[in-house]
Amino acid sequence: MSNYHSIAVKEDKCVGCVVCMKACPTNAIRVKEGKAVILDERCIDCGVCLWACPKQAIIPLTTAYLDLMYKFKYNIAMPSPALYSQFGKDVLPNKILLGLERLGFDYVYDVAWTCEMTTAAIRYYLENLKGQDERRPKISSTCPAVVRLIQVRFPELTDLIIPIDAPRELAAKALKDRISNKLDLSTEEIGVIYITPCPSKMISINNPPTREKSYFDGAIAISDIYGSLLSYLRDLEEDTVLQQSSGVGIGWAVSEGVVNGLGLDNCLAVAGIENVNKMLEDIESYKLKNIEYLECHACPLGCVSGPLTVENQYLAKSKISRLIKMFGEQSRVIDEAILQLWEEGYFSSEKKVAPTPIPPLDREPRVAIEKMKEREEIIKQLEGKECGACGAPDCQTLAEDIVQGKAEITDCVFRLIEKAGVRV
Amino acid sequence: MVEESSIFGKGFTVRGGDFANAGEVSCKVRNILKEIGINSDIIRRVAIVAYEAEMNVVMYAREGTLSFEVTPDRIKLVMEDEGNGIENIELAMQEGYSTATDEIREMGFGAGMGLPNIKKNSDDFKINSIVGKGTRVEVTIST
Repeated sequence: MSNYHSIAVKEDKCVGCVVCMKACPTNAIRVKEGKAVILDERCIDCGVCLWACPKQAIIPLTTAYLDLMYKFKYNIAMPSPALYSQFGKDVLPNKILLGLERLGFDYVYDVAWTCEMTTAAIRYYLENLKGQDERRPKISSTCPAVVRLIQVRFPELTDLIIPIDAPRELAAKALKDRISNKLDLSTEEIGVIYITPCPSKMISINNPPTREKSYFDGAIAISDIYGSLLSYLRDLEEDTVLQQSSGVGIGWAVSEGVVNGLGLDNCLAVAGIENVNKMLEDIESYKLKNIEYLECHACPLGCVSGPLTVENQYLAKSKISRLIKMFGEQSRVIDEAILQLWEEGYFSSEKKVAPTPIPPLDREPRVAIEKMKEREEIIKQLEGKECGACGAPDCQTLAEDIVQGKAEITDCVFRLIEKAGVRV
Repeated sequence: MVEESSIFGKGFTVRGGDFANAGEVSCKVRNILKEIGINSDIIRRVAIVAYEAEMNVVMYAREGTLSFEVTPDRIKLVMEDEGNGIENIELAMQEGYSTATDEIREMGFGAGMGLPNIKKNSDDFKINSIVGKGTRVEVTIST
């Protein structure tokens, strides 16, 4: 099966070094014939390679800003709350939202508000779960890279992903329906565009795991519009109020934001793809049975440290902390309204996240066992230097590629030198 | 008879008191079974058995080994440890019975579910223990 991916290798820039391959947390990159190749079934779109590449040869496949603007009659911008962290300390969310309007969007929506509503919905869900004999912890569905990590590496844990959709998707659906009714436009005439801190949001647009079809028409990188947005902010008159959210919604931009907003016991947040991976391993080992909810972000500090952001991630985080203080930690949502929306199914994912595990060594267990033994034998013949010069990230992976007929023992430089009869 | 070529086996050493690495062996076993393409429900049962066995060594023994063998039809796990042994196996097999210290319980371990959990997830379960020497548990799970 072919998955959609939100990153690609730019071959003319790639020099075939091993940096991205070594950095990849799921061993999804090989260097073949001097160029990095991303393996479809293993890549989780976390964007670690994007940071790692010293040549900027790995590029995000977000949408070009101008392309989108001319495609639709009516354009709606929906910025990730992470956008609020990207400007000077006196530039507040409302101003940023108005800036997006000046940039040419017909309507700008404060996604942080839907985040705030979703916090209330998650709380309601978790409180109803109390005392029920359900597997725990429930895992957040927001970060597309984490969802894909679970689908690929922890297929058994897909059941634990909370059946509440990501706020951006909920907001996009609600808004597109509403605007289409109000302005008598067909949904095809309305462009809903996410302003994104990471490429992985493109997955939930092109290949959404929680619904049949996303209501987004594209996502523009924060880094792509940053310059123009900044110039519009300079002399902007704040004549309208677009911001609805308090600190509870804005907090979604950073790790622990949701957990703090929930204010419930036994909820945890984990950030950084390696940490998330370790945490999921612990969940598989039944170590976190007493945790009710786990908030996961692939990026080290949450969305503010996404690969398509501009501001220093620590400054960005502190800006969010400041905004949380400024707009308060008291949720502005009305509980009865959330309850009603809940009953209408407003927050529900359309479908359960399906596992898409990395295929076993062979479809036939008997053959897989043979290949496993063969792999162990090949590992013994390798040097164990984990150098990556063969084009695989480590010796075990090379051994596996050899067993699968995708590489040869002489791809290992040590074995090649030996074969050539050169003494080192 | 299963052909020699379609048996894969591996052994691991577990050190008593090594709480920091507790759970690693069961994690490795799980990953190997995933690569072989064993059904996920079976993997879950094997992992529970391996984890509980590993924890028993960590909590109660000086050192132990956990070895497993997989064929297309079944998975066999053998856990052997050098430790105090179990005085009353019948009692140890009861849910909630535990000789864990308060310190261990405070960490959330030692709830007295280890051996019962292992048995519950096995298709075949054998236990031998010699007081003052150690314990051997042999488990088979059919795939």
